[in-house]
Amino acid sequence: MTTTTASIVEIAGLTKVYGSGAAEVRALDGVDLVVPEGQFVTVMGPSGCGKSTLLNLLGGLDTPTAGTISIDGTPLGDMPDDRLTELRRRRIGFVFQFFNLIPVLNAVENASLPLRLDGDSEANARATAWLERVGLGDRLGNRPDQLSGGQQQRVAIARALSTEPALVLADEPTGNLDSKSAGEIGGLLRQVSTDWGRSVLMVTHDLRIASFAQRLVLMRDGRIVDDLMLDGSHEGPRLALERAGLL
Amino acid sequence: MKLTLTLAWRYLRGRGARSMLTTLAVVFGVMLTFGLNGILPAMMEAFTHNLLAAAGKVDLTVTSAYNQPFRPDVVDKLLRVPQVVAASPGVQRTAPLPRSADAAPDALAQLVVVGIDLPTVDSVRDFPLSQGRMLSPGDNSAVVLNSDLGAELGLGIGDQLVLPAAGGTARFRVIGLLDTTTLPGQELVYVSLPAAQQLFGLGTRITQVEAVLTPDADRDAAELAVGAALGPDYQVGGLSTESTLLASLQVGTFAFNMFGIFALATAGFIILNSFRTVVAERRRDIGMLRAIGTRRRTVMGMFLVESLFQGLLGTALGLAAGWALAAGLFAAMGPMFESVMHFRIGGPIFTLSTWVTSILLGVGVTVVAAVVPARAAGRVTPMEAMRPQLGEVYERRTGNRAWVGLGLILMSLFGLATGSAMLVGLGSVVFLVGIALIAPAVVNPLADWGARPIELAFSREGAIARSNLQRNPGRSAVTVTAVMLGLASIVAMITMVTSIFAGFTSYLDKSLSADYLLMPQSIILGQGNVAAGPRLADQVRATPGIAAVSTLRITQARVDGADVQVIGVDPENYLKVAAFDWNAGSSDAALDQLRTGRWLIANGIYAAQHNLVVGQAVLMDTPTGPRTYHLAGIGNDYLNAKLSTLYASQDNLQRDFTVTADLLLMANRTPSADPAATKQRLARIVGDYPAFRLYESATWRAEQMQTFSQSIIVFDVLIAALALPSLLALMNTLAISVLARTREIGMLRAVGATRRQVRRMVMAESLLLSVIGTGLGAIAGLWLGYALVAAIGSVGWQVPYEFPWSGLLATVVVGITFGVLAAIGPARSAARLDVVAALHQE
Repeated sequence: MTTTTASIVEIAGLTKVYGSGAAEVRALDGVDLVVPEGQFVTVMGPSGCGKSTLLNLLGGLDTPTAGTISIDGTPLGDMPDDRLTELRRRRIGFVFQFFNLIPVLNAVENASLPLRLDGDSEANARATAWLERVGLGDRLGNRPDQLSGGQQQRVAIARALSTEPALVLADEPTGNLDSKSAGEIGGLLRQVSTDWGRSVLMVTHDLRIASFAQRLVLMRDGRIVDDLMLDGSHEGPRLALERAGLL
Repeated sequence: MKLTLTLAWRYLRGRGARSMLTTLAVVFGVMLTFGLNGILPAMMEAFTHNLLAAAGKVDLTVTSAYNQPFRPDVVDKLLRVPQVVAASPGVQRTAPLPRSADAAPDALAQLVVVGIDLPTVDSVRDFPLSQGRMLSPGDNSAVVLNSDLGAELGLGIGDQLVLPAAGGTARFRVIGLLDTTTLPGQELVYVSLPAAQQLFGLGTRITQVEAVLTPDADRDAAELAVGAALGPDYQVGGLSTESTLLASLQVGTFAFNMFGIFALATAGFIILNSFRTVVAERRRDIGMLRAIGTRRRTVMGMFLVESLFQGLLGTALGLAAGWALAAGLFAAMGPMFESVMHFRIGGPIFTLSTWVTSILLGVGVTVVAAVVPARAAGRVTPMEAMRPQLGEVYERRTGNRAWVGLGLILMSLFGLATGSAMLVGLGSVVFLVGIALIAPAVVNPLADWGARPIELAFSREGAIARSNLQRNPGRSAVTVTAVMLGLASIVAMITMVTSIFAGFTSYLDKSLSADYLLMPQSIILGQGNVAAGPRLADQVRATPGIAAVSTLRITQARVDGADVQVIGVDPENYLKVAAFDWNAGSSDAALDQLRTGRWLIANGIYAAQHNLVVGQAVLMDTPTGPRTYHLAGIGNDYLNAKLSTLYASQDNLQRDFTVTADLLLMANRTPSADPAATKQRLARIVGDYPAFRLYESATWRAEQMQTFSQSIIVFDVLIAALALPSLLALMNTLAISVLARTREIGMLRAVGATRRQVRRMVMAESLLLSVIGTGLGAIAGLWLGYALVAAIGSVGWQVPYEFPWSGLLATVVVGITFGVLAAIGPARSAARLDVVAALHQE
């Protein structure tokens, strides 16, 4: 596929093998993928197909057995832990299934965490601006236990965006939400790419949420089996899965 | 850094109750180290205060090195020293107050009579009067004293103060009251020098010279110059009697510090456990922090800062509690000291080193205990953020540490086998460390064994409780170790106390077996007691119904530049009314030897301090010159059990020390004599000697025993303070165990466990932990106690080892009670869990 804008993610021949001998599992098997700036990509596939492994490798949380990854032009290669940590802090935003907010910090403090880790003196102001954009302007001082699941996930998205990352990685971001909140989060992630120009790579099982993305990557047994653009209709992902024999 | 601080503080506050529980452990540890160390310096201070003249402008005090009166021409020699501008001769001696039968136990028992040289005293002391007038030359039956002391004695201007004198009693009229405050133990009354000399039968001799130095004089240099000018017969500065007390105080310090360190080690284990759990609970948080770009070092720092907060808070509270503990102990011990030793102890004294040590230990132990969990936190991978939180899984880890532990235990057994006090002591500590290291490997088999009796009572829940304990052997081992330390302290403490009491009782029975004792009210510190001339002994000997009489005399000598008290015994009669408690290799034959020349008996403390063996020569400085004595034996008597003492024959005391006065008389009745009549006759004789009191041995023994039992209260407080950290350790672990298994408990409730069963499950786990901890604690405690008794023995204070049956029983009871108590809170919260919420708990 061809792109007109700069690519944020470039993966070539990415392979991840767990165990050895008879117990060997090839979680990823020679995956190539390029994600251009501002694109919202969803990755789907059955359990164990390698989606989460892909996400972990992209986030620099795990190291590949073979192949290369480059994020925003920076090859991850043999980066030492501290450099990798810094890259995560500045260029990548994470959204988790279980929100993972610090229970003892309020919304602003949670959203500003990466900025404060970076020593940003404007941390609170910038986090507040992002919370307002994700619709939590009236919940700034609330702790996680005072927020609904959907609101907690919005705080997590604000946290992911607060450092102005090039790439947002979302791992089942709606897996722990009711369907109304899930739809809202899907819409918000789409906004992240269309309005705010970040690339988003989301792993999900939810067909409806997948339809918010612009592009769908289907995986099976550690390989990409289909890669197509979506038109925003709810049917798109389902039809693609059926075609690939994954449904 | 600010973020780290915020997170640390918020997390601490977020789990308030548990933070408090953990902090409390530090509080106890610091309280014990700080509080106990505040007591000993205060005692030293009290001793010196009581023995040292410290008033007015006096820079320097000169006394006899042998505690003997001396000629007043010393003043001239002193004035020839360039740094000395003024010197005033004087007499300072203690005089007992006649005690009325209904006197309160803490009533003032003695006064310090100071004879001042009126022409020169103004240059060394000030006497600010509040009422009346100062002494003037010729006022030889007048006295001046502090107004607060006057009030305590009920004396005003014109009233009479009656004091015992060498030849009966002397009366002094109060002519002036001073505006100064009386220090406890320094109840001074001032009379003219000639009056004091007459009162104590000193002729023209004096007992001290007080001097003032030039304003720019270097104190140490001046003391040296004075020392050189006066020669070795005189002592400059304070009396160094305290050195003889050092031996017993050192044992005290050692034991106190050991208990404090145990409490802090317990606190360390509690903190270790708490932080391990905290790290486990926050794995997801940590994973997220790592995922969004937090460095390992920052994560570690977060936990260390959290521990630092706890350490600081715990230490601050511990210092306050320690101060209260020391003050409380002083309040409890004060009356005992006053009735036994007749001097007052002030408040606790905290030296700079006590402050520094306590703060460093309190904060240090907390932070060090958090290092291992903090490092584990730093190693949490960002992947943890992606996983759903898992329940606790079985943890199997028996690494090299267990082998090191086994090695240490074997080494410590070797130390025990040698029988040497030092190796036994070292071995007991090595043993504890060994147990701590081996505990994670052996806690599961021990739990299998310990669960059997518990499963009898908890048939359904016992097995689950055991598996809960076994699935995290690391945490269980730390808990068991903490309980062990606490309970070992109790057993060791009780062993020490019972052995010391048994030792005293045995001395008491052996060395004071006479039927009657005639002695001054304050006897243990021999300094300044009013002694009686030979007439008293003659009178007693001549009393119908009295069979044997023997007396004790006292003086002081210098050996190798250090003071030692020398007791003069009468070898012929001593064994008829008293006995020595001989160390190995010595016997009553040593007493006979005292008659044959310059022979000595040393008590255990002295012999141990100076590594003396029987037959060895001891060169003593005496008022008549250096004399060589030889050691005939090593033995102890009750009165001097705590002081380093030498015993010589009264003949030698007279020849070399010119001492002939009796300090204590012991007498036996003839078998046919009527006890009541004999006592009455003796009482009539003693009536003429106000300084002396007549005791029937049985009464006196009872009085002494009562004093001992009073001090047991003090030990009870200490034992409670030592035991509480183990309770905290158990509570902490159980609270953690319940929290970590919230979901499982929810599941158990969902599949039909009743609240009661959940409660009993937690209770059974607690009992199992406490049974194992108690077992190990009892073994370690017996060993430690044995080592402590041996340590006391090695400084010469021979104490028979007494097996602490009652202590063991108490420990088992305390251990099991704690097991139940600790479980109450956690068991209740486990039983109250909301099943639905618990099942959804992440």
